[in-house]
Amino acid sequence: MRDIDEVSDARLVTSIARYSEVALAEVYRRHGRAVYGLARRVLQDAGEAEDVTQEVFLRLWREPDRFDPGRGSLRSFLLAQAHGRAVDAVRSSSSRRARESREAARTARAEYDMQHEAWDLAMADQVAQAMGELSEDERRAIQLAYFDGHTYREVARVLEQPEGTVKSRIRSGLRRLRDALVDAGVRGVDA
Amino acid sequence: MISHEDASELLGAYALDAVERDELTELEEHLATCPRCRAELDGLREAAGALGNSVEPPPEGLWSRISDRLGDYSGEGEEPPPMPELSVGTRQRAPFRAPSPGRTRRIRSNALLLGAVAVAASAVAVVLGIGLVRSQDNVTNLQQSIAHERAAAQRTPAEVALHTPGHRVVSLANSAHVEMASFVIVPGGRGYLISSSLPALQEGQTYQLWGFTGSTPVSLGLLGGSPHGSTFTVAGAPLTAELALTAEPSGGTVAPTGAIVASGTV
Repeated sequence: MRDIDEVSDARLVTSIARYSEVALAEVYRRHGRAVYGLARRVLQDAGEAEDVTQEVFLRLWREPDRFDPGRGSLRSFLLAQAHGRAVDAVRSSSSRRARESREAARTARAEYDMQHEAWDLAMADQVAQAMGELSEDERRAIQLAYFDGHTYREVARVLEQPEGTVKSRIRSGLRRLRDALVDAGVRGVDA
Repeated sequence: MISHEDASELLGAYALDAVERDELTELEEHLATCPRCRAELDGLREAAGALGNSVEPPPEGLWSRISDRLGDYSGEGEEPPPMPELSVGTRQRAPFRAPSPGRTRRIRSNALLLGAVAVAASAVAVVLGIGLVRSQDNVTNLQQSIAHERAAAQRTPAEVALHTPGHRVVSLANSAHVEMASFVIVPGGRGYLISSSLPALQEGQTYQLWGFTGSTPVSLGLLGGSPHGSTFTVAGAPLTAELALTAEPSGGTVAPTGAIVASGTV
């Protein structure tokens, strides 16, 4: 008999499909921090981040079959859900205003603080290193899109670069990031 | 129609939710038909996921709020819903470090309550599970295995119980002899609510089910403030001669404090 914390993510999702709240609680224990952390980072608001986190887990409860283990890890699936919702909220007019007022303060922050964006603490170095290998342009474009919720056209305007260039840089940067993480053996990336 | 080249150029932005709204439809149509793009997208999303990882702990009560809302995704009460108990063996494992889930907490408090009663009323072992009211959702992307699990879980215990040889249906009526609730009990003592016309209680109150063996009431479980359409399980041995329902403060009591709302003979 295995303890629940040794059960694979995919099996937990199967159990969720069978209405196991215990399995959902375990998924929350494993990934709740990452989901909340990303939502909070994008939204810059604890309350909104909670709402997003709640939606993400309730949706997993309601529609567990939307997760396809053949297409990637549960962690990135949940983070993609969280990110999509957070970005939607950011782009809605109500939070846009509050957000813009925060923008100035944020640009003064450290370049990037990968310690807090890592897969978990042990993976922080790998991700930081991989990000460090990107060109400055790639890194900026990815950060503006991912963490600030800008579309690639908005990123192009902010960086005063052609849209096509920004589009390509985001793709090439992400591909290199993926390759670097696969090489470093970060689990989930090559799933 | 967007070309494959144009679509694949957008994949990075798409993985970051940074594609313009006016381009989304075409891109998603292409993705639906292009396994190559889907495969690349999956990899880019993993990379984005690695970026998005954070170690910021969520606020304390967040899991409880999520847990409390699981029952919101309920059927319309037309059929008794499926039971989580049909799920994996993990449910039977006691030492689980759940982040204080509300529903589990309630179950645990029932167990404590029942434990106290069992001591007081000469060791009656009671197993109690509270079923979650669920509905089958509209699903896209249906994965075969999970679809089958769902289908299996749709067979409700109450339905199974009603087809079990030797089952008994117990009707609970109020003082005016109007039926308020009925249960089906299978040999072995497990019982399920099959119908209820109990009025919803005020917040902070719950219906509590009691079994009488002789004159001593034994708590068989809490049904919540609005049992209509929900399902739950009570099992007790030895089986009691009479069932009764009272309204009690949520959390339940060790002995009935409220007036009997409905009762019936087993």
